[in-house]
Amino acid sequence: MDFISLLSPEYFLLAAAGSLVGIIFGAIPGMTATMAVAVCLPLTYSLGLHEGLALLLGLYVGGISGGLVPAILLNIPGTPSSITTTFDGHPMAQRGEAERALKICIVSSLVGGLFSAVILFLFAPLLSDFAIKFSYVEKFLIIFFALTVIASLSSNMLVGIFSGMIGVFLSLIGTYDVGVGGNGEYRLMADFMVPYLEEGFSLLPVLIGLFGLATIFLEAERGAKDEVGEKRIQLTQGTPFKLNVFRGQFVNMLRSSSIGTFVGMLPGIGGSAASVLAYSQQKNFSKDPSKMGKGAPEGLIASESANNALTGGALIPLLSLGIPGDSTTAVLIGAFTLQGLQVGPLFIGENLDTWYSMMIGLVFANLVMFGIMFFAIKHIAKVVMVPKYVLYPIIIMMCVVGAYAINYGIMFDVWTLLIFGLFGYVAQKIGLEIAPLVIGFILGSSAEVYFVKSLESFGTLSIFFTKSPIAIVLWLMIAASVLFSVYLALKARRNSKSRAIEV
Amino acid sequence: MSQTLTSLLEVSIDFDQSHLFFPKLVVTLLAGMLLLIAVIHRARLVEIVRTRGAGLAFFEENADKFRLFSTVGLIVIYFVSMDYVGQLFPNTGLGFLFCSIAFIAALSLVYVHEVTRSVLLVIACNALIAPLAVWYVLGSLFDITLP
Repeated sequence: MDFISLLSPEYFLLAAAGSLVGIIFGAIPGMTATMAVAVCLPLTYSLGLHEGLALLLGLYVGGISGGLVPAILLNIPGTPSSITTTFDGHPMAQRGEAERALKICIVSSLVGGLFSAVILFLFAPLLSDFAIKFSYVEKFLIIFFALTVIASLSSNMLVGIFSGMIGVFLSLIGTYDVGVGGNGEYRLMADFMVPYLEEGFSLLPVLIGLFGLATIFLEAERGAKDEVGEKRIQLTQGTPFKLNVFRGQFVNMLRSSSIGTFVGMLPGIGGSAASVLAYSQQKNFSKDPSKMGKGAPEGLIASESANNALTGGALIPLLSLGIPGDSTTAVLIGAFTLQGLQVGPLFIGENLDTWYSMMIGLVFANLVMFGIMFFAIKHIAKVVMVPKYVLYPIIIMMCVVGAYAINYGIMFDVWTLLIFGLFGYVAQKIGLEIAPLVIGFILGSSAEVYFVKSLESFGTLSIFFTKSPIAIVLWLMIAASVLFSVYLALKARRNSKSRAIEV
Repeated sequence: MSQTLTSLLEVSIDFDQSHLFFPKLVVTLLAGMLLLIAVIHRARLVEIVRTRGAGLAFFEENADKFRLFSTVGLIVIYFVSMDYVGQLFPNTGLGFLFCSIAFIAALSLVYVHEVTRSVLLVIACNALIAPLAVWYVLGSLFDITLP
């Protein structure tokens, strides 16, 4: 129980501050939890590991939760994952029940967050115990599985996997590192780039560029307008909030939280998938589906418990396999690397104190999020109104600090920021998907080592099938995810056909 | 039969060239997928070629190109000048401080829609206070390297 001594007042203060800043980020449309974590990363450079993680976990939880505020008040999802909150939240706000809607969402968020924290606590150590036995062959197959899952659940399977492969390609630029058994030769670049790209692109400037700068460019193209609600919304009229609204919603909460946690575990799938899935399931099981979309509390409960359950879920593959579950946890990988820690199967066992303090940080951040939002919601609602001409320049400045400081002052990292900011902007324009790309970028160089080393030692491709029973199980899972995506595509085609006939 | 099958799967990698093995594979896969995407969406491609890209729009409708390109331009100026000024005052972070003040003021003026006296006051305060706070807290208190 040494970890208790690590929990200083500073630790709790940072987790609380993280939640607050996260909520503000989440509440401003266009800013996401990922951006909050990326922009605030430089603050952790000089903090200890535990304090830094407390801050980042607070930002993560707060950022996902904050999105519900503009979803209800302005009918604009603050983060992509609160898209389904607008369906029922805004109609309630228009009826004058904004405060009731907000409080229902806040309670559901807390339940979802805590549920997923419990699952994380129970499940991540089991998974890592299992993953310790993996050799290079199984590790490669896990990454391969992660990429097929991303592809099968992205809106267009081929484009999803194409984006992932571009990420892998970008990660290979640089030296084939001797430290991992490479031959130290350069590849994929011209001679003049060698002094800059010897080590390849640094992870954090790439992430901050893709999630920070690219978003600013997209917003600038839209004119950086401030969001204007249709009309001033009265917070408290109509039915007041009472806890009995949750009566009979236990199954809904449990199901939505489980869906959120599970979707979080799948790499590369964002929060919007979790809430949309939970919302449509609730619609299937609802006693009166016609009410949903017109201001039914059950819709809010499904949406918000699912998107907050994502947080714990996305941390499971990160901490047990080293594979990030969503884009925010991808940025968290950067924070771990910064502290000189490698996440993977050995992480929990070798860093038990860190593991416990992370769990406490996660639960505490959820509680603080609940406290802040439940009792200070009226003030939070005003944050949505911070003008963008004040906010965006500051964000760009923070991105620069983060990129420059990561390797103790390398100007090329700042240029990397701009390169990937523009790249992310263009990529989203031409329809590439950023989440698979980032995951490909993070996993690419390990995939190379696992793949090439497996072949060098066994000399045959068949080893990927015959190495162990685990390999066969992994292949079955890969096949299942591909079949599932084909099934989804066929179903979508059938639906659109039948709709065309109806029209 | 089974003999030929196993020999098909056999791969030997020359260590001197091993740095190119995986990149070659990835590039091949990328090219293959690009081709596949082109084949699947060939109808749309033909359409695009026929109309000479008339239906394609890179920018959104009513895109604010002034704000977009000003952002990119200002960022480039910001980075270049930060590096330059930073070398005049090495290891002080002053390059960052001075250039950030100018950058934030300029970008705010680009983004603002209605200029009034109070808005200008907000912009000026923001441009002074935000970089100073970051420079002092991160640069001096936390010892983070700044340009």
